[in-house]
Amino acid sequence: MPVETTRSAKGAPEDFGALFHEEHGTPRLVLTLRPHKSLTPPGFVWFIGLTAGLMALPLIAVLGRPVLWGVLPFVLIAIAAIWWGLKRSWSDMELHEELVIWDGWMRLVHNAPRKPPQVWEANPYWVRVRRIPEGGKVPDYVTMKAEGREVEIGAFLAPSERRDLHALLEREMCPNR
Amino acid sequence: MADAATTGHDHDERSFFTRWFMSTNHKDIGILYLFTAGFVGLISVAFTVYMRMELMEPGVQYMCAEGARFLGGIGAEDCSPNGHLWNVMITYHGILMMFFVVIPALFGGFGNYFMPLMIGAPDMAFPRLNNLSYWMYVAGVSLGVASMLSPGGNGQLGSGVGWVLYAPLSTREAGVSMDFAIFAVHVSGASSILGAINIITTFLNMRAPGMTLHKTPLFPWSIFITAWLILLSLPVLAGAITMLLTDRNFNTGFFTPANGGDPVLYQHLLWFFGHPEVYMIIVPGFGIISHVIATFSKKPIFGYLPMVYAMVAIGALGFVVWAHHMYTVGMTLNQQAYFMVATMVIAVPTGIKIFSWIATMWQGSITFKTPMLFAIGFLFVFTVGGVTGIVLAQAGIDRAYHDTYYVVAHFHYVMSLGAVFCIFAGTYYWIGKMSGRQYPEFWGKVHFWLFFIGTNITFFPQHFLGRQGMPRRYIDYPDAFALWNWWSSIGAFIAFASFLLFIGIVFYTIFAGRKIEENAYWGEHAETLEWLLPNPPPEHTFEELPTQEMWDRQPHH
Repeated sequence: MPVETTRSAKGAPEDFGALFHEEHGTPRLVLTLRPHKSLTPPGFVWFIGLTAGLMALPLIAVLGRPVLWGVLPFVLIAIAAIWWGLKRSWSDMELHEELVIWDGWMRLVHNAPRKPPQVWEANPYWVRVRRIPEGGKVPDYVTMKAEGREVEIGAFLAPSERRDLHALLEREMCPNR
Repeated sequence: MADAATTGHDHDERSFFTRWFMSTNHKDIGILYLFTAGFVGLISVAFTVYMRMELMEPGVQYMCAEGARFLGGIGAEDCSPNGHLWNVMITYHGILMMFFVVIPALFGGFGNYFMPLMIGAPDMAFPRLNNLSYWMYVAGVSLGVASMLSPGGNGQLGSGVGWVLYAPLSTREAGVSMDFAIFAVHVSGASSILGAINIITTFLNMRAPGMTLHKTPLFPWSIFITAWLILLSLPVLAGAITMLLTDRNFNTGFFTPANGGDPVLYQHLLWFFGHPEVYMIIVPGFGIISHVIATFSKKPIFGYLPMVYAMVAIGALGFVVWAHHMYTVGMTLNQQAYFMVATMVIAVPTGIKIFSWIATMWQGSITFKTPMLFAIGFLFVFTVGGVTGIVLAQAGIDRAYHDTYYVVAHFHYVMSLGAVFCIFAGTYYWIGKMSGRQYPEFWGKVHFWLFFIGTNITFFPQHFLGRQGMPRRYIDYPDAFALWNWWSSIGAFIAFASFLLFIGIVFYTIFAGRKIEENAYWGEHAETLEWLLPNPPPEHTFEELPTQEMWDRQPHH
């Protein structure tokens, strides 16, 4: 599930130690939004290992002959290329957003691959959450606006997931409104 | 970027040039691959017609040293054989078919179009790399055709060394033609490796949530195994032909005996690539046939997991049997015994597949639509080709059959018939999905019967010729071989006519076929993800990842 929700009960600070905020205390809600990827790290090791092992087969036959030096570079390039491809695909999916809500404060961090994280902070009381069904960057585009700056959230999720996200945000951030 | 952007982007109508030349969409690139492969296939098939015309009667009637005759000048006197032209024909028929027709159609075309759809991925992992792969393939085709038309050996155009480019024949062939051919294989190899990296990454990392490797449909599996074979074996070929290039141009001595090289080592390297290559050609076909047979038998495929592991096993065994192509080069007895046994072991996973397909049909409710006819035709021809393969695997018997028409018949049964039946089965199965219009069923069946009869008349008699001892790759033959050569040529003409009919059917379908509204127009037993999409699918699919209920349906339960 690309959206992980973690709630803190009162008095369970150990789970949220890292997110403890001097001013606002323990967060009451942490959302992590990330795209789906199906290759696991052990899967990567298996694939590269098998590939390299099978590719070594023809090299055994030409060990000690000049022909080895004609074949070896191409074999190494191929292994490097698939290594790079799988890593790159992972890093393309490193994209994730983290939303932390304390009582009276919230922070959204947008982590894009190969770029510094972007941070947005506000008081949830003043945040306006919008869902734009059509005409946004993506269908059911969800944005949050406060202090004159409007940011997107979960643009990489599926539309149905964004609708759920929007409902969750409405519920969580404006419980008293 | 985290700031909201509400301007939106409507899909403006792209120009023809932008859509087809700068495409990064896996469906558009798949279609480009299919059409390009079809066009190159037509060229390559035209060569075979010319060759069969020449072989129809003993003596040389068309490929004359005084000038090639095709339609004019037939029957004129004083025709001395032009062996170079003949050699050029067989060489480019082989190179084009092996590198530029079957793999691009099955792997590049159907693989690009349907693999991401079946695993529920929005597109390939690297869409722009995909575009690069396609255009490098086109560049490779251009180099191949340029090679045929540029100065080569014997003071004529083109190279006549056979598609395997054996040294020292290839290191001695004069002219730039041979260098162009090597570059063509280089570029197409680079294209295939890039495509393979793209496909492997997509398959491994972009399967829909819940789709574990043991739940992925058979066609994506077959494409993944093909991609893996490409990744493993093409670098070796690239190395080998690079050394050919330096032997030719920089006087190195990798394979040239005069400089201390070892030509047999070139054969080893070539076939280390070449044998997996024939599996790259046929394995995607296995995937297509599995879906076609399951759909038209109205049953799920029999033995899904054994089918997957049979493909894996065929791929793995494909790497350890290469020297069965070269029993006659002087290997030790033990080496020959090993390669013989290893080769025969391949019959086990292949048998698992054949029997699982038959078991899928067993007690199924079979409808004989055109794709199913091609699938059943495939089972027949592939089994015939497989059985002659077992015969040829015997090192002793191969002494007699090596380089005879028996070999030609064998590999055309598995590749020309086997793989091409898969291409046609896939085309008829999916053309409605790709174009939104259905092909005319009657003409599809006519095409099947013409093609089935034509190709069998072409290649079955070649077994007889091989057993009589007719060697392959010759322009002429003694009168003793005349009867079956005549029949073989008749078959080739019938098959060629059916190919022209196929081209007609495709264009009729695209422009005037009956529109189909129903998404899963082959019924509920076509249950992979592409059947949930409209015909043709929209430009962007599965941006919202499919859920497990969408692809894990089991209507038979």
